[in-house]
Order: sequence, then structure tokens, then C-alpha cells
Amino acid sequence: MKKQTMFLRMITASLLRRRSRMLVALLAIAVGATILSGLVTIYYDVPRQMGEQFRSYGANMIFTSSNGGTLSEEALNQAKEQIKENQLVGFAPYRYENITVNERPMMAAATDFDGAAKTSPYWRIDGSWPSQPGEALVGKETAQTLALNTGDKVTLTFDLDKKPATADEAANAERNQNNREFSVVGILDTGGNEEKYIFISTEDMEGLTGKSDSFDMAELSVSASQNELKSYADSISKKTDGVSARLVKRVTQSENTVLSKLQALVLLVTVIVLLLTMICVATTMMAVVTERRKEVGLRKALGASNRSIIVEFMGEGLLLGGIGGLLGSLCGFIFAQAVSMNVFNSSIQFHWLLIPVTVLVSVLVTGLSCLLPVRSATDVDPALVLKGE
Amino acid sequence: MFFRMIKGALFRQKSKMIMIAVTIALGSSLATAMLNIMLDVGDKVNQELKAYGANITVVPKENSVLDSLYDLDDGSETAAAHLKEEDLGKIKTIFWGFNILDFTPFVNTAVTLSDGSTAKLTGTWFNHHLALNTGEELDAGIHSLRSWWEIKNGQWLDEQKESIPANGALIGSALAERLGVNTGDTIEVKTAKGSQSLQIAGIYDAGGDEDEQLFTLLPVAQELAVAKGLIDSIEVSALTTPDNELARKAATKGPAALSPADYETWYCTAYVSSICYQIQEAIPDSVASAVRQVAESEGTILDKTQLLMILITILSLFGSALGISNLVTASVMERSNEIGLLKAIGARDYRISGIVLTEIMITAVVGGVAGYFMGYGFAQIIGHTVFASSIEMKPMVIPLVAVLIVIVTLAGSIPAIRMLLRLRPAEVLHGR
Amino acid sequence: MSLLELKNVSKIYGPLKALDNVNLQVENGEWLAIMGPSGSGKSTMMNIIGCMDKPSLGEVILDGVDIAKESGKKLTEIRRDKIGLIFQQFHLVNYLTAVENVMVSQYYHSMPDEKEALEALERVGLKDRAKHLPSQLSGGEQQRVCIARALINHPEIVLADEPTGNLDEANENIVIDLFRQLHREGTTLIVVTHDPEVAEVAQRTVVLEHGRLVKEIMNESFET
Repeated sequence: MKKQTMFLRMITASLLRRRSRMLVALLAIAVGATILSGLVTIYYDVPRQMGEQFRSYGANMIFTSSNGGTLSEEALNQAKEQIKENQLVGFAPYRYENITVNERPMMAAATDFDGAAKTSPYWRIDGSWPSQPGEALVGKETAQTLALNTGDKVTLTFDLDKKPATADEAANAERNQNNREFSVVGILDTGGNEEKYIFISTEDMEGLTGKSDSFDMAELSVSASQNELKSYADSISKKTDGVSARLVKRVTQSENTVLSKLQALVLLVTVIVLLLTMICVATTMMAVVTERRKEVGLRKALGASNRSIIVEFMGEGLLLGGIGGLLGSLCGFIFAQAVSMNVFNSSIQFHWLLIPVTVLVSVLVTGLSCLLPVRSATDVDPALVLKGE
Repeated sequence: MFFRMIKGALFRQKSKMIMIAVTIALGSSLATAMLNIMLDVGDKVNQELKAYGANITVVPKENSVLDSLYDLDDGSETAAAHLKEEDLGKIKTIFWGFNILDFTPFVNTAVTLSDGSTAKLTGTWFNHHLALNTGEELDAGIHSLRSWWEIKNGQWLDEQKESIPANGALIGSALAERLGVNTGDTIEVKTAKGSQSLQIAGIYDAGGDEDEQLFTLLPVAQELAVAKGLIDSIEVSALTTPDNELARKAATKGPAALSPADYETWYCTAYVSSICYQIQEAIPDSVASAVRQVAESEGTILDKTQLLMILITILSLFGSALGISNLVTASVMERSNEIGLLKAIGARDYRISGIVLTEIMITAVVGGVAGYFMGYGFAQIIGHTVFASSIEMKPMVIPLVAVLIVIVTLAGSIPAIRMLLRLRPAEVLHGR
Repeated sequence: MSLLELKNVSKIYGPLKALDNVNLQVENGEWLAIMGPSGSGKSTMMNIIGCMDKPSLGEVILDGVDIAKESGKKLTEIRRDKIGLIFQQFHLVNYLTAVENVMVSQYYHSMPDEKEALEALERVGLKDRAKHLPSQLSGGEQQRVCIARALINHPEIVLADEPTGNLDEANENIVIDLFRQLHREGTTLIVVTHDPEVAEVAQRTVVLEHGRLVKEIMNESFET
């Protein structure tokens, strides 16, 4: 039989036949490793996940025309495509036109409602979002002024000459106007300027004005850091003709402030929790190994050199550390996933590199915490250990 | 004799007992720190979220709907209603006045510039000193409500600084570029009510529409736009509790629709809707509404952060609990010989358990108390590093940690003691 | 030349002289019993002969080497190569089977060899108990595993410390019979005991009292 075979046989026997003790040690290591891999995974995922939550503040980038004119859909799409698809949370183009309702000047905004729901998740709608042609969303203030409720009809008038009507013309209805009737499906409450507008779909606006493919601006909600956003804005403004991309500083700057604090919080918590957990693991390992002082003495009496005793105990510790580390990486991933599903309703990104790192750290911590008591045990005279009943 | 044995165990096995005490101290410090941070993180993050600016705007009841759009377009004054400047201090006197962090009045007007173009001029407070009827004094103004403004040139206006001229103004970067003006220059602005020369104290970059505006001291704008003592709107930044079912009900159906008990709960909770309601009560003829973009998002982020911290806390509590009970188990098992010996000389099971448990509990109490103070330190380190303010230590954490330590220590030692008691003394003594 | 020779050996712990100027010679193949009440210095003597401790004064010459002058590391090697130890408390590794316990000794000495280890167990009559853990063996059986372990590397000296201290009479007899067998095969045996019955069966008995050798008895009725 080879020496290594006996080595392995001794280690496995120690692990398998001293079950309760080894379970205690294994549990300690596995818990440490779980906390390590779980918290580090969360730490790395917090900016991404939290960043998505911050998208509830709405658009953080806007496209405007760089030459004072309007934007074409083609230019907008070209600009939009420069942003990575998985980072783009929402995109909503807007077009504003002066219209009248019963000769009262109003502002109508046309947008893509699916996009607007994503770029402005904070909009509170009493009723529903428009989904059919001929449906409109009316801002709260305007709804109050015009005494409109959901289910009412409203006629929007667009003056093709862009001139207010004189009393005469109004009376004779001799004007170059387009009229369209819309049904109000929702009242919009935002606490901001949007409450003054009447929102209709882009297609309806084209029908009302007879003019297509002309947008005033576009709002984008992009899940990226402030620096990334800046470089996007720069490259879009440079590469796309007629489009100027700007950051909504209120949103990006504030997000940067708050998010970096949150990340620092999780980092510090992770560091402290890890530090304390590792010490806990180490003390448990020490207790488990200290219990075996007598065995160390016996092995010495049988003629084992200090080196070979240390190698054996370390072998055992490393094996335990490895198994515990693997178990812990798995449990940590499950924990991180549970947290992510509970808090953010989305699955976590797992870093595969964390498995070897966790195993390595577990092995190191276990090894070091075995080494100390084993070393001190080998320093003791075997005779003393064997006598000391 | 019982105490002598315990004393013997505690002092003669000093290093082992110290190790257990240290582990328990670590666990308890972790629990203390995490629980305190978890309980305080809501307040702390809420403060940070104030970076997004005001979450409540107050306007007069009869305000013209379309002023901001059409004032700009034709420069004409609609016969708008106004709020009174003298009522501003009342915001701090509402039930949740303590939660009002900052507020500022606005007077908006369109002005004609020397080159004939128009721009929007806003008069506001910057760092206004206010003495309330209640004797309270405070500083209020726009500075903290525009935390994202970057002053590129010059400095913020400040009413309390003597060096600031009475006609000082801040100009948006886009407007400054268009007009080619710089800090220190003066520009002429004109309205229907008169004209005024403004001295540019600084240029700001707001990254939005405000870059096309001018901001000046409140009296200057009042003179140009309305009249002394009148204001157009107020922005308020308040610490709020995230909305729940009750708050949503109150917001959609109106507080009148709530039952008296619900109404009381709602009124006495810092929901954004109840704070708005209280502001309307305090300021005559006003309408206070939540800025959804800020209020709604705040709720989401706060909820998520708190939940995240709760889960991390649970994990670390679980970890420290297992760590402690593990070590206790290991150290009890180690004493199989001693327990066997005690049995052999005829000690009853409950006596043995009593001795071992008392020893461990004494160690646990020592470790737990030390750990509480360590945890206090950790919490403050985190508080000061991350939020630059100390974490409030909640008294309720003390019993929580105490109960946790006791349960965990018992859970760690009892199974081990039972296992050892089941062994026959002879077997234990013969080292099997 | 004697296999083992102690010359003027003293071991001093502070004011206490555990061994006081002891002289002793052990010949190859001899069966020696060291007797004495507790506190007489038996254990100290056993530790010194077993290379687990060094004398304060004097020479201990084992197989021509003065172990009093050797380093700790070298002592470990000498112990491994030349001495087989048998303990009162058996000291078996409790998570290893009987045969594995024997193999541990081989492992530290040279090469583990399961076949040889099984043969050693057969010699002490435990072949069918080879796969049992110490906790499944009786005290006598454990002590026999311990003897098998002590013999496996063919040591120059088998050193037994109170080998029957924890055994009943039946098992004591089994162990003594094993010693007789070893003696017949030419193994040098040193048995440290306070039990006159165990000492009586040895070839020669020396008696320790207060760290001094006070008596030497040759066993007249010793039969080979």
C-alpha cells in the first residue's frame, strides 16, 4: 500500500467516523462560506438591482434636436440603438402641439404609451392607459379646467394655419382646421407639469395634424452609472446627426449620490459580517482540533514527526474547508437568489468566479485555524499528553 | 460546592472560556450592529433621497392652470391667485412639522431681456432666516432642494451674507451662454410692472429646463411680478413614510371617506398625502400635492432598501447564531471526560447539566454585554462612514439580542449535554 | 555490549529529584520489570527509556547512541525505529479500525502494509476483529491491538507502561501470555508496573523508590 493511500484513509476515517464532531465543524465552515458567497453576490448585484429601482424616478436622458428643428423617427432610432439593449429600460418620444378645445388654447402631447409607462413609472392614472386609437389621457389640471371625467368625450382642434381664430372666423367656421373626437380613458396625476397636457398616441396626432415623423424630444430611462450615461450622451451627440443627448442631472446626480451610499453600506456590512463570521469559524475549528491534543500526543509517541502530524491535520482541515466551501457557495447562491427574488423580483447574476474564491477562503480560514492548535499540540511533550487523563 | 465547581471551571479553563466568550461577543456585536442599522436605515436613506429635491408642491387654490406654459409664450399676466408670504412659516407648525426638512417660496414671471428675447425669472429664498411665532428659528431656501445644481462660476446666493447685493441673481448656463454674460456682469430685465438690473452672482448647470432661467431674491421678483408679500408656489421637502393601502385609499377617495379610526391613523402617520392635507389646513386657500416622481420613487427605494437590510440581517443573525451554538456544542463535547467522571462519582444528571449550563451562561452574559458595546462601535463606524451621522441605538435591540444569545447558547449546549449524559460513565472514561 | 544502558541518570524537577543517579543495563532479549509505588519515578524512567523525555544528568545509551544528547527531532526518529510502546489507557485512535490503528504505526515508520498488519493482529488473536473500531472492542482486545501495533515495526525494545492496569484477570493473563511468547521470540521487553503479579513473571525485576534503584530481583523460577 502506498503512503498516500493510508494518508487519505486516515483523513476520510476521521471525517466519516467522528461524525458529530465533523458535522459541527463542517456546519461552521459552510455557514461562513454561505455568508461569504451570499453577501458578496448581493454586494456585486446591488448597483444593478438597486439601479433598476432608481429607474422609478423616470427618464435620466433626453434627446433633443441639435439644430432647433424636429427629430425624425429614424434619427431617434439610430440614436437609441447606440445604447445596449439590456440597459435601456424605457424609451418614449414626445411631440407637442398647440391645440384648442372649445377655442381654449391647450397643449397636446403625443407619445408611445408603452414607452411612457416605462420612462415615467411614477405616473398615477385614474382610469386606464389609452390602448386604442381615439383614446386620450388628460392631465389632472386640464381635466379640472375642462370638467372632464373618464368616459367623457373631448374634441381637439388643430389649426393648420397656426393662428388663433378671430371671432368672425369662429362664428363662420371658415377656418382651415382639423377636428377629432377623443374619449377620455384616464386622468393623469403626477404633481408636475404633465398635469397640464392632453396625451394622445403618435398615430392620432399624425391624423390630427396631418404631419408625421416629427418629434420634439424623447425621454429615455437607462439603467447605467452616471459615467456610463455621460459617455453614451457624448457619443450619441457626436455620432447621430441632428440629435443632441443630454442627461437629466436631477435624476443622474441624485442617483449617483444615493446609490453610492447604499453600495458603501452593503460593502461595510459585508466586510464586518464576514470578519466576524470568519473569526467564529476559526474559534469553532480551534475547539474541534484542541479536543484532539491527546491524539496528537499518541501520534508523536508512535514516532510521527511534527511535520507529518501537521500535514495530516491540515489535510483534514483542507478537505473540510473544501467541502464546506462548496456547500456554502451553493447555499450562498440560494440565499442571494431568495433575497433578489424577494426584494427586487428579479433573478440574481451569479459570478461563477465566486465558487473558487469561496472555496479558497474557506480552505485558508480552516487551514489557518487548524494550524494554530495543532502546532501548539505538537509542541507539547507526548508523554505529558498521554499521561494527562 | 456548586459554585466552587463553577468558579473552578471558569477560572482554571480560562483560555477555553475566553474563546467561548469572544465568540459570543462577536455574535452579539454582529446582532447589535445589524439590528440597529436595519432599524435606522430607513431614516438614513430617506435623508439621502432628499437629494432628489422637493416632494410636495403648494399652489393657490384658484391658480390658473396654464400659467407656466402661456406666461412664457405671450408675457401677459393672467389674473392668477397667490399665496401669502407671511403664511410660509405655518408649514413648520403642522402636526408633522418636524418632518419638514426644507421649503422655499417661488415667484415666477417672464421677463424681457435687453436683446428683446424673453426668459423666465424666478424669485425665491436661498438661505432665508425665519423666526416663527412659536419662537422657533430656522433657515430655509432652495439650496438643498436643488442639490444637483452645479455652480460653475461664482457662488450660491445667501440672504444672510452681507457681501451679496440686493439685486443678486443666479443665471442658468444655457441662458448665460446665449447672452454672453459672466459672473459679476449686470443684466437689465423688464416686465409690465417695471425694470430692474440684476447682478450675476453665479452661473449654474441644472441639466434641464432651468438652465434657461434666472433665479433671484424673492423681493426683487415680487416687485417685478406681483406685489410685496405675495408668492406663486411653495416647494416642500418632507420626510415621509412609504404609502400603504390606507394612504392610497386616502389619496384617491379623499380623507373624508376614511372611518374615524383610519382617519386618525392616517393623520398621525407621515404619509405624503397626510402631510399635504395638513399643509392645506395650515395655509389658507392652498392646494398641496405630492410630486409623484419623487414621492412615489422614494417609497419604492425605501421599501427595497429596508427589505434588503432585513434579509441581510437575518442571514447574519442566522450565521452568528450557528457560530455560537456550534462552538458551544464543540466545547461541551470536549468535556466528555469531565462529565463522565461526574457521573461516575454519582452526580445526578440535572446537577451536571446545571453546572455546565451555569458556566456557559455566565460566559455568555459576559460575552453578550461586551458584544453589545462592540456592536455599538460597529454601527457607529458604518453610520459615520456611509451617512456621516451616527446610528440611533434603539433600546429594543437590547432585549432582542439578549434573548437571541440565551436561546442560541441553550440550543447549542443542551443537545450536546444530553448526548454526553446518555453515555455510560465507564465508556467516557475509557476514552471511547 | 548491552542494548540499553543508563549511566548515573538523574531527572530533576525544581527541588524534586524524580530520578536520582540511576544505573541500569538491559541486555538484548531480556525481560525486565520495573516496579515501584506511585511517585517512585517509574513514569519518568519509562519516558526517558521511551525517548519521550531527556534526563537532566547522565547518559542513556540505546544501541550505542547516547539519546540524552540528541535533539527532539532525532529522538522522534529513534522512538519510531527502535521502540514499541504499550500504554495503560491503550491510546488507540478512536475513529480508526483495529487494523488501521496498527497501520498508523507502519505509516510513520515506513510503508503501510495491510497484509502485515493483519498478520500482527492474528498473532495477538484478533484477526476476526480487525475491522472493528476501538469502541466495539473490549479492554483486553484493545490492549492486544496496542501490542500488535507496538510489534509491527519489529522494535529493539517493547516498552509497556502498566499494560494490565485497566484489565481484568482473564485479560491480564492473555496479555502476560503474549509477553511470554514475545520473549521466546527474542524481543527485549521492559514492563513498568506496580503489580507484583505482573513483575513476578519477568526474568528480572528492579524496584524503584524515591527515584533510586533499591532492589534487583532475579526470577529463580523463570521459565523460557
